[in-house]
Amino acid sequence: MSQAILTVDEAKEAIAKGRVLLLAGDEAVLRSLPNGAWVGGTIPYFMSNKYGGLASRELVFATDITEVATGWELQRYDAETVAQVYVNAPENGFSFILIPASCPTHLSFALNAPNYEQFGVRPLVGWIAGVHLEDLGKITPKAINGQTGEVIEDGALVMAVTLPAGKAASLGIVNLFEQGDGDTLTFPETGFSAREVFVNGKRTNFAQYLTEKQLDTKLPLVADYYGALVNISFQGVDAAQGVVNFYAPVFSGIRYKHAKPVTDYVADFKNKLAQDCSLDDTRLVFSCNCILNYLYSELEGKKTQPFVGPITFGEIAYQLLNQTLVYVEMHDV
Amino acid sequence: MAIPSTTHHAWLEIVTGKRSHPLRFLAAKVLLGRLVHAVEEDPSPENIADCITQLHQLYASNLHIPKVQEDLKNIFG
Repeated sequence: MSQAILTVDEAKEAIAKGRVLLLAGDEAVLRSLPNGAWVGGTIPYFMSNKYGGLASRELVFATDITEVATGWELQRYDAETVAQVYVNAPENGFSFILIPASCPTHLSFALNAPNYEQFGVRPLVGWIAGVHLEDLGKITPKAINGQTGEVIEDGALVMAVTLPAGKAASLGIVNLFEQGDGDTLTFPETGFSAREVFVNGKRTNFAQYLTEKQLDTKLPLVADYYGALVNISFQGVDAAQGVVNFYAPVFSGIRYKHAKPVTDYVADFKNKLAQDCSLDDTRLVFSCNCILNYLYSELEGKKTQPFVGPITFGEIAYQLLNQTLVYVEMHDV
Repeated sequence: MAIPSTTHHAWLEIVTGKRSHPLRFLAAKVLLGRLVHAVEEDPSPENIADCITQLHQLYASNLHIPKVQEDLKNIFG
């Protein structure tokens, strides 16, 4: 198991050797790679051991799972069939999913994953592919089937990974955000945008509320899912239209609070790991972190070891998450 | 490791929110975040039974995971 930044030539060499790879890189880089045992998503931002956080249109981030994969299969889903992703998961293993940002399948997965048949019965981990921020609106994010070279703009690609007997995968998250002490917010409707919100039970316009309260929208809304803190990040506030847009859907009835500020991501990150993450880094298989953490916490050049990996437009640990580090660890069972 | 059947009262206490446990299995936490809310909205016996079945299936399918074993010890002793 390894996660590392590679040059294109190094990536080609690994593919030629038959390594089983989860790749991340700029679209042109991924398109230049030969067919092989890999699946990739577009993104040119990474966290690395060598450089810390970095943006590169030339390098590839590779997670090599050859040593733990006794078998693998690439599955393709669309906005409807992705509902079967848990049903089709390997009996002993995990499913690694890539979905291009903002495509119909992304929206469908975000809204419906918690209600999928057999939700959570097998580990589902992955990320939402993106683009360089300079390319937003110019080119679309992609997921690439390395076996066939197929490039998709809408859909989900899943590498269903079978583990050897005696091994099991489990998922974890590191979320630095906690619920603040402010109002309790609930939403009348599930969706990626909200016009209205219940503030401590009283209905009001959400954009107006945010403006009046001068809440920092770099800080997410945080819901407490039985002790797992799940973020909803703000995409923007359209005060004129009275609409607030999010990077993940708010769910009606779930209670949210605006997050407490995070002053120093790297320092808080180390504290958080010391406090409540008993991870043995030799068991770490894969991790990824959010582009908003990268931007807002200025992670370029900074390290969040032992976690490295792609910096993404959304993280998936069973369902879509925002502003959260997601990881897979391996256990002997 | 054996898992108590769906008729064990602890499952009912969890999905109805009458008793909470500091769980470690992420999938269970995420699922319970939804199930407890679903039971608040619809506390009918049928819905409670369905929620218990979902939670039980999740744990029963992952008995080999160390965090699942920790949770079950925590819940059932």
